[in-house]
Amino acid sequence: MKKTLLTTASVLMLASGVAQAEDKTLTISVYAFAQDEFKTIVYEPFEKKCGCKLVVETGNSVERLAKMEEHKASPVVDMAVVSMADALAASRKGLIDKVDTAKLSSFNKLYDIAKDPNGDGMSVGYTFYATSIVYRTDKMKIDSWGDLLKDDIVSHVAFPNVTTNQGPPALYMLGQALGTDAPDLKTPIEALGAKKDKVVTFYVKSSQLVQLMQQEEIWAAPVGRFSWAPFTKLGLPLAWATPKEGQTGGMNVMVVTKNSKNRDLALEFMDFWLSTEVQTKLAEKLIDSPANAEVKVSDEVANNITFGADTAKSLKLIPSDVALDYRDKWLSEWNSKVGQ
Amino acid sequence: MFQNRAEGLALALPAALFAALVFLVPVVLLLSEGFRNADQWTLSAYVDFFSQPLNRTVFLRTLKLSALVTLVAAVIGYAAAYAIVSLPPGAKGRMVGLVVLPLMISPVARTYAWIVILGRTGIINQALQAIGLTDEPIRILFSETAIFIGLLQLFLPLMIISLISALENLPRDVVPAARVLGAGWLSVFWKIILPLTKEGLVIGGTLVFTGSMTAYITPAILGGSKVLMLETLLYQQVTVSNNFVAASVIAFILIVMSFAANILLKRIASARRSGK
Repeated sequence: MKKTLLTTASVLMLASGVAQAEDKTLTISVYAFAQDEFKTIVYEPFEKKCGCKLVVETGNSVERLAKMEEHKASPVVDMAVVSMADALAASRKGLIDKVDTAKLSSFNKLYDIAKDPNGDGMSVGYTFYATSIVYRTDKMKIDSWGDLLKDDIVSHVAFPNVTTNQGPPALYMLGQALGTDAPDLKTPIEALGAKKDKVVTFYVKSSQLVQLMQQEEIWAAPVGRFSWAPFTKLGLPLAWATPKEGQTGGMNVMVVTKNSKNRDLALEFMDFWLSTEVQTKLAEKLIDSPANAEVKVSDEVANNITFGADTAKSLKLIPSDVALDYRDKWLSEWNSKVGQ
Repeated sequence: MFQNRAEGLALALPAALFAALVFLVPVVLLLSEGFRNADQWTLSAYVDFFSQPLNRTVFLRTLKLSALVTLVAAVIGYAAAYAIVSLPPGAKGRMVGLVVLPLMISPVARTYAWIVILGRTGIINQALQAIGLTDEPIRILFSETAIFIGLLQLFLPLMIISLISALENLPRDVVPAARVLGAGWLSVFWKIILPLTKEGLVIGGTLVFTGSMTAYITPAILGGSKVLMLETLLYQQVTVSNNFVAASVIAFILIVMSFAANILLKRIASARRSGK
């Protein structure tokens, strides 16, 4: 069924692609986020520069990876942006190639953590984000991830579902607060499960949190820094916590599809995206925190994104192999302790 | 009407082909996924599904909430429909218009409105606090209660409309006749109105039950991932786990439950008739 749907989708996509094709066409697969801004800042300027046509596919990473797997023999997508863990998953399935960093003039400008996030040479980080807790300063003080489970706080908390990008990192930090570093996340899931009835909701989309915060339905929630800006516009006394266990987060990376016929063009596009100019513009629009260390932004912008070498170094990221190998265990543990 | 049968069939063929191609084939392909394991036919996906406690909980919750919404919609629906058909024609038209009005507003907008109404600072909590029933706001959002309220509001008009058309076919004199002969209101409803309007109840009940069971937006927004229903579980299986087999199993269960509800309601209706 999946095959049929994907084949139909690809035939339709190919048909529309062929109709619009110019001499050179590069197909990219990206998150469906802020596409209007990406079009103005990245896609259109690149098309002008290379004299080529960009075909942009969007969707969540599960759908996009499934599509790449389906077209493994004859890839449709030339380059994709995915999470670190998904890049490792794609690498294990033989869907992507080593990134020829010699062809990326911006490569040496990247923060060290972005140069080869999975240590296998198969991806390059283009943005990263911190994950911490946004909270009402007039109602509570958050000094530790463990504070989220305190009796007077937990009934005003929205915690990310384990299936979201923020879920496992937030659980990992909760585990640290509970004195464990174990990658199985059993302890924090159990602790959260014991208070599941009190937690307001286990959110799936962070966009929902702004409304819940505005309605005073919640007073605290672990979120990615990219969600922070809308909270600052609510006019509520809100702060970004700096828990003693530190902040966690995630990184999104670029990958090149194996057997892509447009490998050089894909690398040219990646280089353009990683350039100081483009990364600065994306940061100024508060879309992506820059992985390029040469990017300079105003204090106001810096406060709204994840910015700077020190921040980049301090983030406690879950290694991709752990995320991949434990994903199913986390889900079944979550379903048995929290999900019911 | 046609000179020969072939002519009629030929005219129906394009629509039949279209329906088969875009509806039947995909549905059969999707459903067959749940019965296949590599090269052989098997029920193992169904056994796996029901062996997991979470899935059983979600299945029973979906069944319970859908049944409850249908029951309450029937009770409120009969009262509202009876009141509406008793009105003079002009007022009746206006009331029917009011009942239909919510159906013209997107379920997303209607459900988002409930987030505001049911929230800690929403009007329900404000009213409860104002009349002194509670000191602190009570939690309604992200609970079965919130889903129940959302679904009932979403599908009640379908029940009322079905019952209005059934009640309009009720012979005008039977209720006053029964009352004159000394029957109480409960007796009138149980022995006269219900048997004579059962078709409307079966149609309305099937629409409300099936709609409640297969609604996605309302449970997703008002229940979240804390109160999963079969539809929200199906979405999770596809988008998070990429598990099309589990999605196929859930889809099949939903279809079977819809048919079962319809058959059950018809049985109940015919049992009352044969029992008379």
